[in-house]
Order: sequence, then C-alpha cells, then structure tokens
Amino acid sequence: MYVLTLEKEKRIVQPNPEAMETELKVNNLNVFYGSNHAVKNVSMEIKKHAITALIGPSGCGKSTFLRSINRMNDLIPGAVCKGEILYEGINLLDASVDVVSLRKEIGMLFQKPNPFPKSIFDNVTHGLKCAGIRKKDVLENAVEESLKLAGLWEETKDRLKHSALSLSGGQQQRLCLARALAMKPKVLLLDEPTSALDPVSTAKIEELLMSLKKRITIVIVTHNMQQAARIADQTAFFYEGTLVEFGNTRDLFENPTHTRTKSYISGQFG
Amino acid sequence: MNAKVTDRLATLCFILCAAITAGTLFSLLGYIVFQGVSHIDWHFLTADASTFQAGGGIKNQLWNSFYMLLMTMFFSVPLGIAGGIYLAEYARPNKITAFLRSCVEVLASLPSIIVGMFGMLLFVNTFHWGYSVLSGALALTIFNLPVIIRVTEDALAAVARDQKEASFVLGATHWQTIRTVLLPAAFPGLLTGIILSVGRVFGESAALLFTAGLSTPNLNFGDWNPMSPQSPINPFRSAETLSVHIWAVNTNGIIPDAKIVAAGSSAVLVIVVLLFNIVARLVGALIEKRWSGK
Repeated sequence: MYVLTLEKEKRIVQPNPEAMETELKVNNLNVFYGSNHAVKNVSMEIKKHAITALIGPSGCGKSTFLRSINRMNDLIPGAVCKGEILYEGINLLDASVDVVSLRKEIGMLFQKPNPFPKSIFDNVTHGLKCAGIRKKDVLENAVEESLKLAGLWEETKDRLKHSALSLSGGQQQRLCLARALAMKPKVLLLDEPTSALDPVSTAKIEELLMSLKKRITIVIVTHNMQQAARIADQTAFFYEGTLVEFGNTRDLFENPTHTRTKSYISGQFG
Repeated sequence: MNAKVTDRLATLCFILCAAITAGTLFSLLGYIVFQGVSHIDWHFLTADASTFQAGGGIKNQLWNSFYMLLMTMFFSVPLGIAGGIYLAEYARPNKITAFLRSCVEVLASLPSIIVGMFGMLLFVNTFHWGYSVLSGALALTIFNLPVIIRVTEDALAAVARDQKEASFVLGATHWQTIRTVLLPAAFPGLLTGIILSVGRVFGESAALLFTAGLSTPNLNFGDWNPMSPQSPINPFRSAETLSVHIWAVNTNGIIPDAKIVAAGSSAVLVIVVLLFNIVARLVGALIEKRWSGK
C-alpha cells in the first residue's frame, strides 16, 4: 500500500488512537429495514477527539450505522435499531432519549450540500433559533465564530444576507459544516461529505476536519480510501452489514488481517 | 415501418393533441370574450340587475361572487392546509391513513350539485341559515377543501428530503421543521394551487343554487353593519353570484336583454378566472426566483 507513504511522517507525531478515551461505545448493534437486516451485530469503540472512518462498498451498512447514532433512522418507516450505543453512559437507542437534544450534541453533515434556501446568516442560526436563542448579538457572534471555524468567514462576511444558494458547491458544504458547528456539537457525523465536491474543496474540508478533531469527535463515512488513509486515526471496514475489520488506520491499510479487507483496499471490488 | 418514421408519427400525433387542446381553449375563450366584451362597460359593472327591464348591470352579483369567495377561502384554506400537513407529515402509512386519503379523493370527485343538495339539507334547513352567503360558502368549502388538502400534501411531499433532514440534524423539532423549512419551501406550489382553486370556486354555480339562492336583497353599500339585512357583508342574506346569475338569466330571465346580460357576465367571469390563473403563475414564478437566490 502506497497511499500512506506521503502521510507517514505526519502520523508519527500523532497520539496512539488506542490510548485515547472512548466517546461512543457500540455494543451488538443490529438495524433492520423491514425484513432487510442492514447492520449485523456491530460492536466498536469510537475514540474521543479522533477521526474514525467507515469504509466499504455501497450498501454495506456504513451509512445506516452512522444514521443510527443520531437516531436519523427514526425517520424511516419500518426501521428498527437494536443493541446499544453508549454515549456518556446513556444508551442512545433507548426510547426515552430526547432525540432533539441528542441531535444538538451529535451533529451531521450529508453527502450533498443541503443549505436551506435562505440567507447565509439564517442558515447558520437555524439550529440556534430552534433551540430558543433569539438575542441578536448572541446569534451574530455564533455566526461569525462558526463561519470562521468552517473557513468560510472571509468569503461571506460581506454578504451574510445573500441567499445560501448563491454559494458554490464547496462553499455550500462548508456552510453546512458551519451550521452544524454553531450548535457546538461534541460529535460530528459525516456521510460522504466530499463525494459531491471538487478536489480543492475536498482538501479544504479535510483540512478543517483535521483541525476540528481537537475539540470534536468525528465519524466519517467515505468511499474514498485515500481520504480515510489521509485523515482517519481509526478505520472500520464494513461488508454486507458486518464489521469485518476495525483498527488503527495505518494497520488496517498496511497489514489488513482479513482477505476481504485486503481485496477491497487494493481496489479489487467496491 | 422503421423507428424513425414511427418516431415522427408519434411526435406529430402529440403535437396534434396539444394543438386540439390549445385550439379548443382559444376558440372558447375567444368566442365568450368576443361575444361579451362589447357589453362590458362601467355602467354594466356598477348598476343593479334589473328584474324585467333592459339595461341592468351585475354590481351585486360581482360583489357576491367575491364575498363568497373570500368567505370560502377563509374556511377552506386553514382547514385544508392543516389537513394536508397532517397527511404529509404526521399520518403513519397504515390503513386508516389510506382510508382518509381515499375519503379526500372521493370528496374531491363529488358532483357539485350533490354537494349543493347536501348543503341545502344541512346548512339551509337543519341549521336554519336559509339561502345565505354562509350556507353557500360552507358548501363551497366542502367542495374546495379536498383540493387544498391535496395541494398542500403534494407541495410538502415535493420538498426535497435532504431539507427536512438538514433541519432535524440541527436539533429542530418536527413542528419547527414544518414551520421554518417545509412550509416556506412548499409555499410557491401551495400558493399556485390555492389561486387555481380560487378560479374554480369563483366559477362554481351548481353547489350554490340551493345554498346561496337565486336572489339578492337590495344591497345598500353604505351600510356595513353585518347584522343589517341590506348590508353587503351580512352573512345571513341570500346572495346570487355571477355564475348563478348567468344560469338564472339564461333559463328563466324575463328581461328583454337576457342574452346580452348573459354574454357580458360570462365574459367578466371568464376574464376574472383567467386573471386568477395568470396571477397564480406570475406569483409562483416570482417567489421561485426570489428564493432560489438569483
């Protein structure tokens, strides 16, 4: 595997992921869409303030796994999640969990940039306003801070009242990131956030994620194995709903223990 | 026959169908407007209808049509939007929902004369509201409600799923999402649908024959006390609308210029309905343009 050679030097200075604290502990997670068993008995520990990448061919259950963390599968009629996802000692799958507050702490970014057809300012403040924050100065500060974190402030500070749809695709995705960051989430779930973007915008998002992981736990689903190799501390390989292999990104890419992982990362199927 | 010839024949066939549709519309509109427009003048629009002499106008009928329309919309728009939101967002996909949805469809396909008869039995007789603006507006509400429910449900369903998800992942509640994301995004479609239904309500006659009546008291446009019998805004007085007037003048009118009055009224009716349609398109396009950030 050569994908990692460029990054090796950088990686050496990084802490060993296995020594890090656990943010999300998944125990025997099973997800069903009607009769379709989409995620099968998955258990894994997602480390705090690290980037965890989920890779695997289309339909392998990685997005479904991601969407069960912030309970977005609740929106799909007939979806059933069983097992445990422990976060701060609480099972997120428990029926008594308030999904609205859960989603304030665990944010999400989607494959396709999906800004609201409103102004840039209103996009960033949507979550805050829904949480009951009305004070103008608080909102203004939050907008500036979030846009700076998402690396979009310089480009948009003079046109916060313009429609978000006037931005380019890459800018729109960073706006969606800013919108999620405005909620000050502890965990950020990303579902192929760069697959609709050009290489320059992709590099920008990756750079942002690397700097954000200091304060946020990041779980990213990606089809792009180089991306996983570039940014992830740990990588999980999913195949047909099961978690085949999970470990430090370097180990997984350089010495995969399963033949299926090996053939997937070497591009033999996918 | 080879594929190219078939393709050309099919294209020709579709063009012909489109031409027949457009041709029918234009000849109908052209005929009605051409026949009637010469009779429309300020006097015709602002004079009282006469009972047996020539030279009557349509002032009260025109007023009644608009007033009835306003009241119908006042009842049917909030109810219909609420019903549409329920079906699109809250109803679970089960048998009860399917049954509710087919109820709405059946209601939409009821012949308007039947709705009128029902209105007469319920509002006019049972509730003792008599032939009145209120009875008429409620009958029209029955007739219009399924349309608004349908329009709302379709407009909400047409909002991309990613917009809804975007709002949910930011910790918005379902109602907050409906209010701040879904309804604004559905608004252009919703508004267009409502304005189009306005055209239908404005032109409706059969449902009103037995509910709003064939006569209008001598309206005093200086009297705006809703309880006074001559007041234009009294909801309990009988009210002959423009389309009912066309029917009445044509079938049992004894005025010598019945043909002229009918032609003029028809032209006014058609022009107003046409205006509603044009406004619907313009407003829809304008909002679309404003909100897509151009």
